[in-house]
Amino acid sequence: MDEKDSTCNEKVFDHFFRSHAKLLRNYLYYKFGNLDQAEDIVQDAFIKLWKNCSKVHLDKAKSYVYTVATNLGISRARHEKVKFNYKDYILHRNTGITNESPEFIALEKEYMQKLKQAIAELPERQREVFLLSRIDKKTYKEIAEISNVSVKAIEKLMHKALATLRKTIGNI
Amino acid sequence: MLDDKKDDIFLSRWINGELSEKELNEFRSHPEYTHYKKIITGVDALHPKQYDIEKELADLKSKRNFKKSSSTIKLWPFVAAAASIVIIFGLFLFTPDISYHTNYGETLTVTLPDGSEMTLNAKSTASFDESNWDTQRNITLEGEAFFKVQKGSKFTVTTANGEVSVLGTQFSVHSQKSLFQVHCFEGKVSVASHKEHTILSAGIAFRRLDKNSEKWKFSTSIPSWLTNTSSFKNIPIQYVFAELEEQYNIIIVDDNVKLNKHTFTGTFPNNNLQVALRTVCNTLGIEYTISQDRKTVVLKK
Repeated sequence: MDEKDSTCNEKVFDHFFRSHAKLLRNYLYYKFGNLDQAEDIVQDAFIKLWKNCSKVHLDKAKSYVYTVATNLGISRARHEKVKFNYKDYILHRNTGITNESPEFIALEKEYMQKLKQAIAELPERQREVFLLSRIDKKTYKEIAEISNVSVKAIEKLMHKALATLRKTIGNI
Repeated sequence: MLDDKKDDIFLSRWINGELSEKELNEFRSHPEYTHYKKIITGVDALHPKQYDIEKELADLKSKRNFKKSSSTIKLWPFVAAAASIVIIFGLFLFTPDISYHTNYGETLTVTLPDGSEMTLNAKSTASFDESNWDTQRNITLEGEAFFKVQKGSKFTVTTANGEVSVLGTQFSVHSQKSLFQVHCFEGKVSVASHKEHTILSAGIAFRRLDKNSEKWKFSTSIPSWLTNTSSFKNIPIQYVFAELEEQYNIIIVDDNVKLNKHTFTGTFPNNNLQVALRTVCNTLGIEYTISQDRKTVVLKK
């Protein structure tokens, strides 16, 4: 096996971690709803990769850690029925617009609150696909690879997610 | 378009910029458009909490190493079978702790395996086990040293007087006879000494002398001896003379002078014996003479 493509090579492993850990963590968070747990699972999945590095070549490593992590997430979610927790974890980017009226800002705040709530209530698959697309700016093709389904399925889920959000938020 | 029940990917095509110009114009004049637009604007302003990738990688490595060592323990029964061979090889493979020693008037800066720095003051000895450094950052110290610790697992300095442990910070430890003194310059350190346990934050120093301990504030950012000065606060005079002896490789004879009751607060330079002796002795009203070879100092009342 070529040393530079082996996940047993520390440098290769580190680089692989740096380029994939964050997205994996976000994916697990959107899917299972708990950020701390998502970060633990990322650790465990990569430790497992390291232990099995001689068997998992670099080009298989990505789907390996996603599969391991998803399975860990499912078995942990079974134990504790977690709801998607957005309160401490999803932050509102400061837009830097300061010339808005206080009423407008209060209204915006209320709207954002409602939006976050609506995202939390989305079915897991819709939320996962929708946030990977909007927050992590992943293409439908990339999301399809991560979640092991067709691009067509992703498009349907995106449409559904938006329609569901629209319904939950109502006319505010 | 939107109202067409058969177009179940319309919104998906819209936010992906795949609508035709005609479709887009139609949608824009649809009453639902502003609502959807607002959802997208809102979602695009959201982001999950920061992810510190380097910290996560460091955590991963420390866990990975920890798990490695625990699996070695499981191998013991097999290793035992080959014990006789191990003993023979052991004679050659056994590596003693790495140790550093400074002599009179010297300081020495050492970079530890994880990139942490240790600077030894005069007449000090420090040792550690390099092979276990990944899992146990443990230094045994006699004398005085200043540490800049890289973030990572627990970092412990063990002395005869007590133990100091930290996670990542800058601190100095002084352990001489029954004097134990710790200055915390950055971060936090935890000090355990004679059943007493305390946590120091930056700018706080701790001292135990025999059975009495105290804490105080200080404002320097590095130990004075790193800039060739020795600095004391309310220290029994024999420790000050001991420091003079260590810095200048001299012997101080306190003939008939009763020193026990004196304490000293102040500083002396580590590169000028005359000035150092004058500073200390004048403050205490003690006279002294230096021998011809400049090795012995005799104190007189």
